[in-house]
Amino acid sequence: MSVLSKFEETIICLKAGRVTLPYPAQARPLPENFRGRPIFNAAKCVGCAGCANNCPAREILVYDVCQEIRILQYLGRRCTYCGRCADVCPEKAITMSLEFENATANISDLGQKLDLFMSTCQRCGRCFKGVAALEELKMKGYRSDDIQNERWIYRATSFLESEPAVDDIKIELD
Amino acid sequence: MIAREMFEEFKSRFGPLIDRADLPNDRRLFVYVDRSVVKFVCQHIFRELDARYVASIGSDDRPFSGKFLVAHNFAFDKDHLLCSVLTQLPENDLKIDSITNMVPAASWAEREMYDLLGIEPVGHEYLKRLVLPDGWPENHHPLRKDVPWNEVPEDYNEDAEFKFGETPEGCTVVPFGPFHPTLDEPAHFRLYVEGEMVRGCEYRGFMVHRGIEKLAESVMSYNDIPLLAERICGICGCVHSVAYVQAVEEAAALKLPLRAEYIRTIMLELERLHSHLLWVGLACHIVGFDTLFMQSFRIREPIMWIAEKISGNRKTYAICVVGGVRRDINDELKDELRGVLDKLESEWRPVVAAVSKDRNIQKRTRDVGVANKFVVKSAGLVGPVARAAGVDIDCRRDHPYAAYDRVNFDVITAQDADVWSRLVVRMNEVFESIKIIRQCLDKMEDGPLQLEIKDELPAGRMGLSSVEAPRGESHHFVITGENNRPRRWRVRAPTYQNLQGVPAMIKDQQIADMTISLGSIDPCFSCTDRLETVDLRSGAVKVWSQEELLEKTWEKVTAK
Amino acid sequence: MDGSVVWRILGGALNVGLVLLLAPLGHGVLRKVTARVQSRQGPPLLQPYFDLLKLLGKEDIESGETPPMQRFAAYLSLAAVLTVACLVPMGFRSPMNGAADIILLIYLLTLCGVCTLLAGLAAGSTYSLVGASREMMSMITLEPLLAIALIVGAVHTGSFRLDAVLNGSVYQVSRFPWSGLIMLAIMVLSFQAFVQRVPFDTSEAETELMEGPLMEYSGPKLALFKYAQMAKLVVYSALFVRLFVPWGSGFTFPLAGLVFWAMFWVKVLVMVLLVTLVAATHARYRIDQAIRFFASLFAVALGALVLASYGY
Repeated sequence: MSVLSKFEETIICLKAGRVTLPYPAQARPLPENFRGRPIFNAAKCVGCAGCANNCPAREILVYDVCQEIRILQYLGRRCTYCGRCADVCPEKAITMSLEFENATANISDLGQKLDLFMSTCQRCGRCFKGVAALEELKMKGYRSDDIQNERWIYRATSFLESEPAVDDIKIELD
Repeated sequence: MIAREMFEEFKSRFGPLIDRADLPNDRRLFVYVDRSVVKFVCQHIFRELDARYVASIGSDDRPFSGKFLVAHNFAFDKDHLLCSVLTQLPENDLKIDSITNMVPAASWAEREMYDLLGIEPVGHEYLKRLVLPDGWPENHHPLRKDVPWNEVPEDYNEDAEFKFGETPEGCTVVPFGPFHPTLDEPAHFRLYVEGEMVRGCEYRGFMVHRGIEKLAESVMSYNDIPLLAERICGICGCVHSVAYVQAVEEAAALKLPLRAEYIRTIMLELERLHSHLLWVGLACHIVGFDTLFMQSFRIREPIMWIAEKISGNRKTYAICVVGGVRRDINDELKDELRGVLDKLESEWRPVVAAVSKDRNIQKRTRDVGVANKFVVKSAGLVGPVARAAGVDIDCRRDHPYAAYDRVNFDVITAQDADVWSRLVVRMNEVFESIKIIRQCLDKMEDGPLQLEIKDELPAGRMGLSSVEAPRGESHHFVITGENNRPRRWRVRAPTYQNLQGVPAMIKDQQIADMTISLGSIDPCFSCTDRLETVDLRSGAVKVWSQEELLEKTWEKVTAK
Repeated sequence: MDGSVVWRILGGALNVGLVLLLAPLGHGVLRKVTARVQSRQGPPLLQPYFDLLKLLGKEDIESGETPPMQRFAAYLSLAAVLTVACLVPMGFRSPMNGAADIILLIYLLTLCGVCTLLAGLAAGSTYSLVGASREMMSMITLEPLLAIALIVGAVHTGSFRLDAVLNGSVYQVSRFPWSGLIMLAIMVLSFQAFVQRVPFDTSEAETELMEGPLMEYSGPKLALFKYAQMAKLVVYSALFVRLFVPWGSGFTFPLAGLVFWAMFWVKVLVMVLLVTLVAATHARYRIDQAIRFFASLFAVALGALVLASYGY
């Protein structure tokens, strides 16, 4: 009978009690391997740019100021919190934190910039081969993303040219 | 030896018309024919051999073979075989016979080939714009290799409108969408209504087309793409990423470690659980029964929590890479998962029992949105929609992948082909999924999680993969390429096929039933619209035109 | 004479004020209990007051086809419901006792439904027109049910006066009150439709019609309509209580009048709770199913009227 089924349904509902939380007054605790915002530790980083090569959103830029200094910049705007940077890092310098409430009015809050002093390879002064063939972007040569305008440069030889290689999506800065 | 037997059958039937055939393993068959006989071969496969139509794919192969490639994919479900009929087209004569009047399910795929690549299906009766926006200039085909991935054409005409057909006599036009509270995503159904009965409809969709296939071919690499594939859909993300990596693994002939297969199976079934529970809630919300909507979501929530514990996120698991999985399920997580499944089953059984006796819901859903076996075959419907009509297809059993050949489960079918049958099928599939996960947890063996892939993947190989998403069969086609990325990646989501059956479902029904009929196929429009180039429009305020909006943003940027 | 005019005005103002004050509270109770059944926290009890305040402060965009008619429909809807509040005896004698009768009551109640029609027709968009046509179809079969209940009462007591009919008159026969019980059952089965709640709120189905006739309203005018809907819940519950469960006015202990008045509002609250529970546990019916249901109820109601005329 239909009325009986309605009673059954009501009893199921009332037995359950109240399950919603008055968020943000009270939040639910997160599991420990939750993939929140990645935190970069400059002390452990060796500047291999494995994270930059494997970021699917191309949000980590690498720029070589000179032979010894490399700038690694995590922009954080289109980060998908996938965690590949943390997986690939050989020094475990990247940890996926538990922060997910990352909304901000100030877009530069999301970025992290690492200035690294590199020790050089004895022979050529600059090499790093990726861990496996699938992890490479097949780009050889100097890395020189456009740090000023926060754009990823696709063609490896762009450091030889004065014009930027491609146009990225223009995002409004504060 | 099924593939070989099928090939022998083709050879005996068509003989010299076949240019070439590839049989990479027992369950795949790639047959190259001349373009003049494509229709003839497809007719034989679809009609006489009674195969199921899956997808049609166009590809710009000019940098490698100098020609365009067209593939029509069919599935022989009882024989566990996926077959692809391919043909090559020269650049200066991009025409191919349309197979739509014989296989109506191919209608959209051929329109898409025309929009995105310029391959004209000769004899297609309804060749209007499908994928690209209406103001897109003619003869500008984004998926060709010479068009950059982020190009915005200059002669884009913002004010162009889609040309709908004539309104039938005596009918008024009721526009359904693109903005409607029931739909989570935009789609436009132009209903021709007589009184309260719907007499016909026309569909214009693809409003959230995002350019995924082009991105994958141009700027991503093999291991970046699963993360992109996951974001094709808001609910069935894992399915797309698994389907993609399986296609690549098949193309490169990689054999996964067993533990990775079990973990993939568990994540896929978890996804099916949460998707079906969400759908039951949504269907009840559409008919106005909000209480069951809330209860379904309450019962579903622990699945999201356990998925978050295993993979780090409630929905975008990011767990697949080519050659394995990234995260493990240790014993503690296994016990917790078993506890969650027990609780879920104990809570869901009373709900299913209560709903089965509930005449109030049945009055709204029986004999509504009927899609019988004939519609299922001709429109190529898949998933619970097909199973509710009595057509017994399920990719987990017919084209086994991951660990499905090692677990036992039943395929649930129903006979009435209406919305109520689909509801029953989905509610009972929840129990089957729980059964599968429990078996996987028991049978999981120790071992590595990923393959060590030391060499580059070979280029130019083709891979097909059909994965059973909660909505139906999700079919991916990959041609591997150079530079660590595929040459072509085609995604055919289940809603792509199911939407083509909606006009038949809503004809001669009332307007009030339109939403529940549409909802019963469990539409996932973002799965369907996957390909476009970058769109600078913000899309929110309707009063502004694109030029005005762009001007506004430039003002703000330069005024600093 | 003067005293009775003052009494009428004061009584009417008290009724209207109480309805205006308590209607959002009734709606808040409805939302809170619905949330409790749905296992969630739910909005605070006083939320509808804030909602109305918010709507009153919003920009009033006139986007339908005939804005003057839309304005008129909005004012008329709240005005009609509040006028009914003056007619129904809410815990004491009806303020308009000698000046109005139940025929006027029936007309005013129908006017409340007509306002939704006017709103839908004035808006002129496709979905509003569909909603208006649904409202028309359901009104034709629904309003007569309440009218017949009142007329059964009138037949039993032999008068059209408000305080005579709205005092449990359906049971006032010498023999077993068959017609009264039948009308009670019919009203219980169709009450949800009068107050526009699931399972019979087809004309304003949010998921199917995008709110139907109210689609083109925003800001203050929408506040008027929402207020009218909330007030309808209270006023119809009061009507139901007066017609079918009015007992308790015969006591003579001190402050009996005040106690009876308080008990009346408690009974109204119980009606609101019942409406909520039914609304929370049912799915919405399609318009043709709803109309068939009302039509069969109407046939039974006619039978009850025949019984009433024979004295049962």
